[in-house]
Amino acid sequence: MKDKHSTFDQIELTRRNMLRGMGAVAGTAALAATGLAPRGAMAQDMPVVRAYGVPTAALKDWSPLEASLGIKCELNGTSNDVGVFMRDIMASNLGDSTDIYIFESGTEDILGPRGMYAKIETDHPELTLWERTSDAWKRSPVVTDEEGNQWGVPVIGNADSFGYVPEAIGVDPESEEELSWSLMFEDEATRGRVAYGQGWSYSMPSAALYLKETGKADIANVSDMTAEEAAMVADFLIERKKAGQFRTLYGAFEEQIQLLTNKEVDVINCWEPAVREANNVLGENATRYAYTVEGYFKWGHGAYVAAPAMERDNVDNIYKMLNYFLGGEYRALQARDRGYAGPNMDLGVAYAEENGWSDAEIEALRATEAKVNRKFEKPFTSTTTPQNASDIEEQWQRFLNA
Amino acid sequence: MTQTRPKDKGRKPAMRIPVATVALWVICAAWTILVIVPLLILFVYSFFSTEYFQTIYEPSLETWKGLFASGRWEVTLRTLRIALTVTLIELAIGFPFALWLAKGARSQMARAVFLALLTIPFFLDLSSRTIVWRAILGQNGLINTVLMSTGITDAPLDWLLYSEFSVHFGMIPALFPPMVLPIYMAIILIDDTLIEASNDLGATPAQTLWKVIVPLSLPGVMAGFVFTLGPALAAWVEPGMLGGGFVNLLSSSIESAYTALRYPVVAALSAFVIGLLLLILAVMALILRHLGGARLALRR
Repeated sequence: MKDKHSTFDQIELTRRNMLRGMGAVAGTAALAATGLAPRGAMAQDMPVVRAYGVPTAALKDWSPLEASLGIKCELNGTSNDVGVFMRDIMASNLGDSTDIYIFESGTEDILGPRGMYAKIETDHPELTLWERTSDAWKRSPVVTDEEGNQWGVPVIGNADSFGYVPEAIGVDPESEEELSWSLMFEDEATRGRVAYGQGWSYSMPSAALYLKETGKADIANVSDMTAEEAAMVADFLIERKKAGQFRTLYGAFEEQIQLLTNKEVDVINCWEPAVREANNVLGENATRYAYTVEGYFKWGHGAYVAAPAMERDNVDNIYKMLNYFLGGEYRALQARDRGYAGPNMDLGVAYAEENGWSDAEIEALRATEAKVNRKFEKPFTSTTTPQNASDIEEQWQRFLNA
Repeated sequence: MTQTRPKDKGRKPAMRIPVATVALWVICAAWTILVIVPLLILFVYSFFSTEYFQTIYEPSLETWKGLFASGRWEVTLRTLRIALTVTLIELAIGFPFALWLAKGARSQMARAVFLALLTIPFFLDLSSRTIVWRAILGQNGLINTVLMSTGITDAPLDWLLYSEFSVHFGMIPALFPPMVLPIYMAIILIDDTLIEASNDLGATPAQTLWKVIVPLSLPGVMAGFVFTLGPALAAWVEPGMLGGGFVNLLSSSIESAYTALRYPVVAALSAFVIGLLLLILAVMALILRHLGGARLALRR
């Protein structure tokens, strides 16, 4: 299964790495035969930072990093399943072979205090961009815990809402007006034409957000509901399910794209790349990603340092890598390739200008920054590890089984 | 007075008995360590609970209560119901097919082709085979397009996809080979002279089928039943791709619990299923005994 936010999957990643590896082997052999082996050996001798996490954070091509910093990043991908991620880290001594972990916010609250992550040394000499990074990113709940401990460096972020077919719901395809999540949950015009995510951690908070912001339920924290609050949300969803609001509950990224492209549904609480992929098939603005009245499922990825890595002699390179996540090159490439934003977007624009990107590409970077800034004004942040996860998951099962 | 049979002369029974006994004890010990102990641990684990992604090792009934309050026990029963329905449908269509393939298809070529067709699916990814049905059964899919363009229906049939119908529909072709192949293997071993003798003695085809072929094929039928029921109980691809989230089965319920690291819930669900499976096996054993299949299965 693809990870939640990526536009390519791990198999593709593995295949690419394998092909690249085979190419490297073949290339090295050819160079050795022509007497140019030392140059190939130089690339092999680059220091390596080993990462483990969601492939979303990976660049589609790491060569700009290697050219800029002279280090290599080897990322072992995992799915976006927090259970799998935490099990791997807690039970497999992954820190013995891994330098940094890259994952969605939440795990730092548990794995940081338990000693799996090392605190970020914000005054490390290689972390040169730390001071200029806004608190909105570097001190967000994505990378700090409730006590304010700094466990990570922000990598990317976005605010998820829902994709929709403008023509089907009678909205101008060019419009950027804010739409209500009622289209998702209880609009008569969309009844039976809605796809809703099947995972509790992604879908339950959106319903809670809608109920809270419309005054239909009193919920303190939509990303970490109590058992009673979760039960209220489940009751609402069960009622809507029985009313026939949902056409399907999807499970994978590929399904999001398919449901939009084959016009099985008009509204879906999907990830933004799914809309991009659907439009690649259907044409520009055939589907849109909503600005919403009530708010968003805001998420962010952080890079966290494995505690044992601080005992090894690779710390400077690790911090170079962390700093790279804050820099313009990474920012520009991520925004161009995936549409995701992150800290220091202005550096991304500057990088694009300095490197001769087209006006359209530079404008797209600015648009991504403006889009994320607009969406991040809404007061909601997600977490993959709510304290009441067991209760929320249990109530979600009640909805699924109803 | 007991007489030693000639063929036993010269043997050393004193050597055989200890070997058999030791083997039995080794098998029992291995079985206990590899199967019984993990099951007991699983059962014990179901009496713990999870809080903030941590297992709380304090015995309680909270997990079992939650199993019923969240409707997870209904998931188990639903899974069992669907798995049994699919298995019985497979048996109903698989037995006649296997009988024809083993005794009816006179052409060796035809038999080879059909056997190849039955085994080829094992080399293809189940997800790839299943996802095709979505394009055929969807609102804008092939069947609805044909139905609407020919005027048979005015609106697309919603229940074709994302329903229990579509889950059954997806599982039947996927689980057809595991049912057919063991039955085919059992029937092909039936000596044709037995069938001819039955006919010569005046039995009708139905009597020959019921009194000769069915009893002799029972070991294959039971194997097919088990090989089909097991994967059906663990089905994940078809319910996920064709159920549309409305046919919540055991696999997805366990996966959901696992995302919150709720190991006790996973343990409780597994224990519940094992209990139900033991019940089914007991019923099967009774049926087999009634039909004489147990004796057949153990015959030399």
